[in-house]
Amino acid sequence: MTQKFISSVPIILLLSLTTVCLFGQQFPGKPKITRCRSLEKDTFSCWWKPGPDGGLPTNYTLFYSKDSEETVYECPDYRTSGPNSCYFDKTYTNHRTTYNITVMATNEFGSNSSDPQYVDVTCIVQPDSPVDLSLEMTTSAGVTDLWAKWSPPPLAENSSNWHVYHYELRFKPEEEEKWETVSVGVQTQYKVMNLNAGLKYGVQVRCMLDCGEWSGWSPERQIQIPSGQSPPEKPTIIKCRSPEKETFTCWWKPGSDGGHPTNYTLLYSKEGEEQIYECPDYRTAGPNSCYFDKKHTSFWTIYNITVKATNKMGSNTSDPHYVDVTYIVQPDAPVNVTLELKKPINRKPYLVLTWFPPPLADVRSGWLTLEYELRLKPEEGEEWETIFVGQQTQYKMFSLNPGKKYIVQIHCKPDHHGSWSEWSSEKYIQIPSDYRVKDMIVWIIVGVLSSLICLIMSWTMVLKGYRMIAFILPPVPGPKIKGIDTHLLETGKSEELLSALGCHGFPPTSDCEELLIEYLEVEDSEDQQLQQSHPSKNTRLASKETDSDSGRGSCDSPSLLPEKGRESRTLPSKLPSQDVREVHENNAGSGWETQCVASSEDRALPFNIAGTKSSTWPAANIHPSTFAYHSTVDAPKITLSTTNVNVAAVLVGNEEKHQNYSNSEMFYYLFKSMGIFLTQQR
Amino acid sequence: MGNKGASLKGLLLVALLVSHMFLAKEGVTSLPICPNGSVNCQVSLGELFDRAVKLSHYIHFLSSEIFNEFDERYAQGRGFITKAVNGCHTSSLTTPEDKEQAQQIHHEDLLNLVVGVLRSWNDPLVHLASEVQRIKEAPDTILWKAVEIEEQNKRLLEGMEKIVGRVHPGDIGNDIYSPWTGLPSLQLADEDSRLFAFYNLLHCLRRDSHKIDNYLKLLKCRLIHDSNC
Repeated sequence: MTQKFISSVPIILLLSLTTVCLFGQQFPGKPKITRCRSLEKDTFSCWWKPGPDGGLPTNYTLFYSKDSEETVYECPDYRTSGPNSCYFDKTYTNHRTTYNITVMATNEFGSNSSDPQYVDVTCIVQPDSPVDLSLEMTTSAGVTDLWAKWSPPPLAENSSNWHVYHYELRFKPEEEEKWETVSVGVQTQYKVMNLNAGLKYGVQVRCMLDCGEWSGWSPERQIQIPSGQSPPEKPTIIKCRSPEKETFTCWWKPGSDGGHPTNYTLLYSKEGEEQIYECPDYRTAGPNSCYFDKKHTSFWTIYNITVKATNKMGSNTSDPHYVDVTYIVQPDAPVNVTLELKKPINRKPYLVLTWFPPPLADVRSGWLTLEYELRLKPEEGEEWETIFVGQQTQYKMFSLNPGKKYIVQIHCKPDHHGSWSEWSSEKYIQIPSDYRVKDMIVWIIVGVLSSLICLIMSWTMVLKGYRMIAFILPPVPGPKIKGIDTHLLETGKSEELLSALGCHGFPPTSDCEELLIEYLEVEDSEDQQLQQSHPSKNTRLASKETDSDSGRGSCDSPSLLPEKGRESRTLPSKLPSQDVREVHENNAGSGWETQCVASSEDRALPFNIAGTKSSTWPAANIHPSTFAYHSTVDAPKITLSTTNVNVAAVLVGNEEKHQNYSNSEMFYYLFKSMGIFLTQQR
Repeated sequence: MGNKGASLKGLLLVALLVSHMFLAKEGVTSLPICPNGSVNCQVSLGELFDRAVKLSHYIHFLSSEIFNEFDERYAQGRGFITKAVNGCHTSSLTTPEDKEQAQQIHHEDLLNLVVGVLRSWNDPLVHLASEVQRIKEAPDTILWKAVEIEEQNKRLLEGMEKIVGRVHPGDIGNDIYSPWTGLPSLQLADEDSRLFAFYNLLHCLRRDSHKIDNYLKLLKCRLIHDSNC
C-alpha cells in the first residue's frame, strides 16, 4: 500500500503541476534588472529581463527609492527606451544619489519582485571630456619636451566631489591613422616623449570616473614639433628700469630657439638720430638683459629698443619698445630706518621715525626728488595703515597705543612718474606703557572717598532713617475742618456725623433754624470768620458775581438776607442742573467744605426770585448742597432736593411772569436745608 | 539819547567800510610782503626759488595729466608714439641731457635756458588753450587744464625773470628763444593729423615742463641749500 503510495507521489505531483500549468495558476517569474546605462547626459535608462510569465499577461512596474529614503516612486517613463525599460530624464537624475531599483511583475495571481539593484548615477552617466587641453614645447639643455596639460571636465551642479578621474591620452602624427594611447592616471598633465622632429602631431585626452565609463575624446590639439631647421621665435622685451635716474637696464624673454643655439642682440636708436647702437653691456644685469651705464643713458629722449634672436637658420626681431628713461625710475627702498622715543616734559611721549634715501639716489643735488610713504600696523593686526609723508625724511607719531608692538615699513618713489620701491625691511617698535603713578593715586583717593561717603550715608539712613525721610519728603497734609473729625467721615455713620456737626437728625430741625437765625443776626462779625475759612475758591467767582462782595462762599454771603425790591433781571444762562453735576463731581468723596464752596459757584448764576438779588443764591445753591449731601451721607429723603429742583425750575420758568413769589415760603425751605451748612461753618 | 548816539556811530562805521570796499575795488586782500616799488623790502632768493619750484612742479603735474587724458581718449591704437620722435620745437635749444651735463653747466646759463624755454612756450600754450576747445567733444578736464597751464606758465616766467634779475642783475635780456610754428598743424582739416599735432604738442609740453622742473630743483639745491637738499 505505502509503496504504491510512495510511487504514486511523483505522478501526483506531476499531475498537479501539469494542472497548474494547464490552468495557469502561477505567479509570474522573477524579473531581473539587466543593466542601467546612460545614453545621454543627465539621463539614464534601466532595462530588465522579464521572468517566465506562463503565458499570462503580466504587468511590469519599476519602483525606485533614493539613497536611504523611505519614499518609493514609480518609473516615470516606460516607453522612451523601448520595451521592458524605464527612462529617467533630467528631472529624475540626481548625480549625488544612489537609486535602489526593483521591478515587480504582476499578474492576476500575484506579483514577484526582482532583486534590488543599486545604481549610483554618477557611475553610469558618461562624464564630459576634459577641457582646456594645451600643448607646450619646452627646451632645456637642447632637449625638447612636449607637455600636454588639461583640466577636468567642469563639475555639474549636483555631481559629487569624491570621485576621481582617470585620464587617457592619445596622439598621432597628422598624416597617420593609428593613435598611440597612453594611460595617464589621475594627473592632469603628461610629458609626451618619442616625438619625431619636424612632424605635426595631434593630441587628445579623455577621462573616466573610477566607477563609470570613459568620456568622449576632447577636441584635438595640434602642435608642430620644431625640426632642427627653423629660425628662432621672436623674443619679447619685458621691461626697462632705472634705479637712480642715472642708468637703466632692460630685460627680455626669449622665444623658442628652433633647435639651435641662439644668439640675442639688443639694438637701439635714440630719438632724432639715425644711428643704431648695440647694447653696451649684456652681463652686469644678468642673463637676457642689457645694462646702460651713465654714459649711454640720456634723459628726455625716446629710445627705440629691439632684441634680435639669431641662429643658424635665421633671425627674428622683437617688436620695438619705446622708452624715455625719465619715466621708468624705480628706486631702491629707503635705508637706515631709526626710531627714537622722545619724552617731552608735561606731554605724552612720542615716537620719531627717521630714515635715509637709498644710497644710489642722488637727492642732495636735487637731481632726483623722492617722496616717501610709510605703513604701520600692530604686530597682531591684519591691516596696514598707510601714511603719505611727502619729501621729508622723518615722521613723528603721536597716537600709538602704549604697551603694544608695532611694525613699520617705508618705501619711496620719484616725485614725478616712476614707481614705488620695495618696502624697507620691517622695523619693530615697542611702545612703553604709559603708567603714570599720579593718575592711579588720584583714582584711588576718589574711590576711597566715595566709598566712605556711601558708608556714612547708609549708616545715617539706618539710624535716623525715618526722620531723614520725613525731612526730605514731608508728608502731604490732609484737609482739616474745624469740628470735623475725618475719621468719622471715613467710617461714615450718619448719625454720628450729624451729631458731630451739631445737627441732630435729618431733616434739619428747628434747632438748626435757630442757629441759623442767630447767624443771620450776627452777620458782620461772622462774615470775616467765614471768609477766612474759605479763601481759596471764592476768588474765582469774582468776575461772575454780580454781587458786590468778591467771591465769598454762598454759605457765608451776606446776601442771605433777603433784599426786597432789588431788581436784577439777569437770568441764569444755563440750568442749574449742570452746575449741580459739576458740584457733584467736585464733591465726590470730599468733605462738607467743598460742597459748600462748590455751591457758591452756582451763585454765579443769578436767579431772580421776586426780582431780588438775594434770591440768586437760594434755589441754585440748594441743589448742590442737597445732592452733595446725598452723595456723602445716605440721606433718607431726597424729596426735599427734588422739590427744590422743581421749585428752581419753576422759578426759572416763571421768573418773568411772577415777580412776586412767596418769599417767606422759599426762605423757609432754603434755610431748612442750609441749616446744616451753617452749623458746619461754626 | 545814548542809544541814538551808538546807532549813529555804527552807521558811520558801516558807511566807511562800504565806501572803502568800493573804492579799493578788491574787497579784502592780503597785504603782499613786498608791495610794488619798494626797494628795501625783499623776498629772499630762497623764497623765490621755493615758489618757482612749486609752480614748476604743478605745471608739470598738469602737463602729465593732460597728456595722459588726451592719450587715453584720442590716441589709442593710432600709433602716435612711433611718430612722436619727430621732435619738439625746443629741440634746437641745447639743454643738459643727463645729470653730469646738468651739474657742469653754470647756474646762470641754466637759468637763462629755463627762462628761454619758458618764453618759447608762451605762444604755443596760448594757442593750445584756444585750439583745444575746437576738438570734438573735448572733456572739460582737458580744457581747464590747458587754460591753467598757460596761466601758471606766465607766472613762472615772471618769477624766473625776477630770480634772474636777483642772481645776475644787469644781464641784458638773453636771446634764448625758439619760435613755434605749429599753429597750422593744430588747425588741420584732417582729424587724424590734427590729433597727432595735439599729441605731439602735449608730449613736448610734458617733456619740457619736466626738464624745467628738474633744472629748477637742481638749481635750488645748488644755490640755496648748497647741494645738500
